[in-house]
Amino acid sequence: MDGLLIFATSMVTLAAIYGMVCMALNLEAGVGPLWDLGIVGCFGVGGYAYVLLTADPAADYQSYLFGFGLPMWVGAIGAATAAGLAAWLISLPTLRLRKEYFLIVTLAFAEVIRQFYANEEWLTNGVAGIYGLDQPLKQQFAPGDYPYVLMALCLAGLAATWALTRQLSKSPFGRSIKALRENEALAITAGIEPTATSRRLYVTAGAITGFAGMFFVWYNTLIVPGQFDSDFTFFIWAALIIGGIGSQRGALVGAFVFILLHDSLRFVQVSGEMAVALTSLRTALVGLVLILILRFRPDGLFPERPDRMTKGSRHA
Amino acid sequence: MDIIYFGLISASVLLLSSVGFALIVQVEGFLNIAHGQMLLMGGYTGLWLTNIGVPLAPAAVLAAVITGLLGMAMYGLLFRPIKAKGALVMLFTSVGAAYVINGVIGAIAGARMQGYDLPPVRAMLLFGEPFMTRYELAIVIVALLSALGLHLFMSGTRSGKSIRAVADNEALARARGIDPRSTSYLVWFVASALGGLAGVFLGVMGSLTLAMGWQQIILILATTVLGGLGSLYGVMLASFVLAFGIEFGLLAVQPAYRSALAFSIIIIVLLIRPQGLQSLWVRAARTH
Amino acid sequence: MLDVRDVRLSYGGVHAVNGVSLDVQEGEIVGLIGTNGAGKTSLFNVITGFTRGDAGTIRFLDNQIEGSSPAAIAASGMVRTFQTPIGFPKMTVLENMLVFSHKERSERRKLLGGARPDKALIADALEILAEFRLDGRADIWVQDLSAPEMKMLEFARAMMARPKLMLLDEPAAGVNPALMENLEGHIRSLRDRGVTFLVVDHNLRFISAVCERTYAMADGKVIADGPTSDVIADPEVIRLYIGTGPGEAAA
Repeated sequence: MDGLLIFATSMVTLAAIYGMVCMALNLEAGVGPLWDLGIVGCFGVGGYAYVLLTADPAADYQSYLFGFGLPMWVGAIGAATAAGLAAWLISLPTLRLRKEYFLIVTLAFAEVIRQFYANEEWLTNGVAGIYGLDQPLKQQFAPGDYPYVLMALCLAGLAATWALTRQLSKSPFGRSIKALRENEALAITAGIEPTATSRRLYVTAGAITGFAGMFFVWYNTLIVPGQFDSDFTFFIWAALIIGGIGSQRGALVGAFVFILLHDSLRFVQVSGEMAVALTSLRTALVGLVLILILRFRPDGLFPERPDRMTKGSRHA
Repeated sequence: MDIIYFGLISASVLLLSSVGFALIVQVEGFLNIAHGQMLLMGGYTGLWLTNIGVPLAPAAVLAAVITGLLGMAMYGLLFRPIKAKGALVMLFTSVGAAYVINGVIGAIAGARMQGYDLPPVRAMLLFGEPFMTRYELAIVIVALLSALGLHLFMSGTRSGKSIRAVADNEALARARGIDPRSTSYLVWFVASALGGLAGVFLGVMGSLTLAMGWQQIILILATTVLGGLGSLYGVMLASFVLAFGIEFGLLAVQPAYRSALAFSIIIIVLLIRPQGLQSLWVRAARTH
Repeated sequence: MLDVRDVRLSYGGVHAVNGVSLDVQEGEIVGLIGTNGAGKTSLFNVITGFTRGDAGTIRFLDNQIEGSSPAAIAASGMVRTFQTPIGFPKMTVLENMLVFSHKERSERRKLLGGARPDKALIADALEILAEFRLDGRADIWVQDLSAPEMKMLEFARAMMARPKLMLLDEPAAGVNPALMENLEGHIRSLRDRGVTFLVVDHNLRFISAVCERTYAMADGKVIADGPTSDVIADPEVIRLYIGTGPGEAAA
């Protein structure tokens, strides 16, 4: 029973982290017009920036840059800033590309960034990664209680991301990116500059994704380049599509459903050979659900709905 | 000299992998992410066939045919019914299909790295210098012949012309008595079979891992974008530009940056020509 | 108000716009007629900045605007419509209105995307929608409107934007006679509230009903201009535009 509880806690924690990235992606690609297949790029940049700022200096068997041992809140700001900066750099050449080209080039950028962490050992300690990273509030609680603390922290991060992305998507800025998604030419006649607006959106979503990267580091207590390959991007997209692209609730539910599908089978204890097959079948199951959802409920479990605003403003 | 041989070999495999993907982009109008798994399917089917004693050449052909049939089945079961729902739905259905194929192959074959059990061969000599191995030469020849064959098929045969007609304007093609359905099945067969063959070649040259499909689809996407989405001749040219670009680039950067180099090439090309290499000969973009 | 001088645009060797000059004074409703391929839409695209012209000057409210971005031109008070008025399909009627309001234009660059619309702004939008009998539809997606409702929404949006000059691209295309009369009424009433119009259309009956002055284009050039009644009686216009048989011209 205890094992199940710990396992469920770990799943909720991971789902909360996925949920944050899903909401950032939903802002870009669901509400806004940017089909970004490189979201893992900003996620990794955020994670690495956080680690390089907050970790202790590299020991002599390792090598990585900085290691300032700075407080975690500085790391949080650094994660969001570095990811936002990376997004800004990527946006410079890519935003003028047509939809499908944008999709592929962002995927390409994410791959380049991953190879960069893997190969530049002076910066990131290469494929060996950086281990034994601190978790927040670790000393204040008994080790047995810590998983719940971490879950609470991630859920708080999720709530903050929910509030921020919801505010953004219901604001005038949110309507301007939705207008670009729906009809770019008409949006221009409303005075919306497509490139400048998209760039702002891309940087904002990148910063949120980078912020989520920090929670991912907390969850894993280690960082290696292999965590940031394009699988993650496709997982987030799959989660968003299952939940309902364009819908805030869809992004949230999608992340939890995805983790349930993808990771709940991890709890089943089997031996050797079977475990390998089971890992593969887990992937197949996610694929099957994705196909079925797109076939029978292409708008997701919680489809985008009209944003009703007249309630309360009418003289009742 | 080595650079030219290596470039030629990687270009051949890239060409064979990408040309089918480009064909589907052209006719169906979406990025079929599952195409990478067609390579995996071909590679593992070929491996299984050689393991049960089928000689390599017929095993390769058979693996290609089986992969082609899988492609047709995928089209009929998954993509035809959702054609009206738009490119994003099709794209992510193909992602789902890629997961399913990858998962099923992984469950059967296991996660270990595997390789074809082939007798070791030495490079042949050309003018007294080491050249390619038998297998490598065969791969280059088959790839070039496939490209030539595809060109002749598309421009010279009735079926090829109907594929082009459907790609240009489905309604018009139907009005001219072409059945877009059977044309699409044909496209999926040809495209997937070529992908399957490329998978066998990749296995022959190196080894097979479950991640192969994902690694290759990224290179395929790069090649297709470089060529200009959906342009067959663009992709053919792009395979060579990319393969040689990588081989020459590797003189300057470490081998670990292989695919990063590919992406740097497409990023630079798209900065200069946002429509890819096809814009060198196609003047105005097609209007929608 | 709008002063177009010697504008040229060619692509692929075709002179789509070949030295066109025209002007529109404040408070006018000016027509622009011509056959398909005469260059009307190309000219529209150049004026509104969607296409960059090869040569010529365009002044709007005494500012040189050629080379400005289309969004900047729109923001300066010149708003165009499109031949297919689909709006923003998956946004509500009210959202479609809000996007065009001046308030949102200044808010959307702010941190956190700016303040959400206040009651006064929503009430304003609903009031305009009521004029077009769309207030009951405020909370549904535009893709669920009927075609005439979408047409009306275009004018409602324009009122929300309070443009100084509106460029209408074929407003009468695919519109039934009853709705057409309705349109004419809305154009005139907007003019009385200070909006100037430049209207492209095929429909001569519609043009002569709303436009005081008209330009006729053929092969990228202006071939006639003046009071609408004179222009549509111009023999060359009749020959080029209305058709071959002289008998049809009078109809």
